[in-house]
Amino acid sequence: MPNLIAIKGSKDGLRLQLDESAVWSEVLDALRDQLGQASHFFQGAQIMLDIGERALSEEELAALLALMQQYGLRPETLASTARESRNAARAAGLTTRPLGRKIVESEERGAALFVQRTVRSGQVVRHHGHVTVLGDLNAGGEIIAGGNVLVWGRLRGTVHAGALGDREAIIGALELMPTQLRIADLIARAPEGHAQRQPEIARVVDAQISVETWDYRK
Amino acid sequence: MSRVITITSGKGGVGKTTTTANLGTALAMQGARVAVVDADIGLRNLDVVMGLENRIVYDLVDVIEGRCRLRQALIKDKHFPDLLLLPAAQTRDKDAVTSEDMIELTNQLRKEVDYVLVDSPAGIEAGFRNAIAGADEVLIVTTPEVSAVRDADRIVGLVEAFEKGHPRLILNRLKLRMVNRGEMMSVEDVLQILAIDLIGVVPDDELIVSATNRGEVAVLDRASNAGRAFIEIARRIKGEQVPFMALEENTGVLERFFGMFGRRPRGSER
Repeated sequence: MPNLIAIKGSKDGLRLQLDESAVWSEVLDALRDQLGQASHFFQGAQIMLDIGERALSEEELAALLALMQQYGLRPETLASTARESRNAARAAGLTTRPLGRKIVESEERGAALFVQRTVRSGQVVRHHGHVTVLGDLNAGGEIIAGGNVLVWGRLRGTVHAGALGDREAIIGALELMPTQLRIADLIARAPEGHAQRQPEIARVVDAQISVETWDYRK
Repeated sequence: MSRVITITSGKGGVGKTTTTANLGTALAMQGARVAVVDADIGLRNLDVVMGLENRIVYDLVDVIEGRCRLRQALIKDKHFPDLLLLPAAQTRDKDAVTSEDMIELTNQLRKEVDYVLVDSPAGIEAGFRNAIAGADEVLIVTTPEVSAVRDADRIVGLVEAFEKGHPRLILNRLKLRMVNRGEMMSVEDVLQILAIDLIGVVPDDELIVSATNRGEVAVLDRASNAGRAFIEIARRIKGEQVPFMALEENTGVLERFFGMFGRRPRGSER
């Protein structure tokens, strides 16, 4: 099945791209699957819907908003080249944005975000690709990534890797003392008193998150 | 050039107000002209700690709303005429003040004194934002407890987001005996988490409680270890190089403090 849904991160939030030519009900089904797997990734994010050239009636848009509502999400903006879609969106109380004919694919899905600072309590780093932090992730801070997460420092907060449903994602840190680790739909917390002073990698083995020491001489 | 310094913490009850009163007094003892501002509108305390409660006629909100001139609201300290208090309003709340009001107010105070110390309310809401609005620099007070350090970490992030530069840390109420027994976070433990510059460590001191209850400040009491620590912090605020104090009750942990002094946490040296 072709990818009907694409997610891009940007400075102003997340852009949810819905395929512009597939049958609308199939797009909605794909979105339902995606949200079912990864609704946590979207929680609290500003979301822009990008439906390309598709012309949506008010009823079709209402179905889309109702589906997102089930997962506690409400997009703020709708972008489309079609005036009909934008009118429907305005009627539903969204802000709208016209689109240029062709969207330039500047960001690859796998593009990594490099963060060079301490991620502190209350701060959230959210990115659709991989995330690398040069610094510490403090307790109370959060990283949510579609891909892998590497912390070149102490990891004490919460990390969600593969947040779009990818169980192949890994989480690594020089010192792994997390509040909680999540990979795709799996959740783990560090055992009490876990204090390994060497680099470790967490990955999914047999539907469980397991942590192993990173042996760099290997 | 006068400086506006906000003292904040995130968590309540870690000693912001006591710190403000003591640093204000210490700076005045050292010959500076100082204004201390209570920005905790509706829960004023700084006047009580300094023993000036019964002299209040006008307050900060009166100044902002134009019911009096700034100088009319400034209260002279009992001991140092160059130490002035601008009390908070007790019968209003934080909505009576905006960030613009605070910037305007601190800019007026700059013309009167060398140092403006702003005592921030706890929390991260409007009151905190007002308190740092006019600040040139920020001092964060924490105690060596996990919850207080967690909140301090949150505040460091916010202070950086508001572009108030690198905040400096005051570690308050350290109990060296407990640290030595491994029952309390050490200076290094706290610095490792917060990764900001340390400007002072204040030992836990019962004299602080009795002084505060009398409306006196510890820096006036030569017997107070905490008072001496505040005096040293005041000198560091002025830019003097002051070695970190070795606490008296310790045996063999001196190196610990000297070791700490040699260490510069990440971030720039001022």
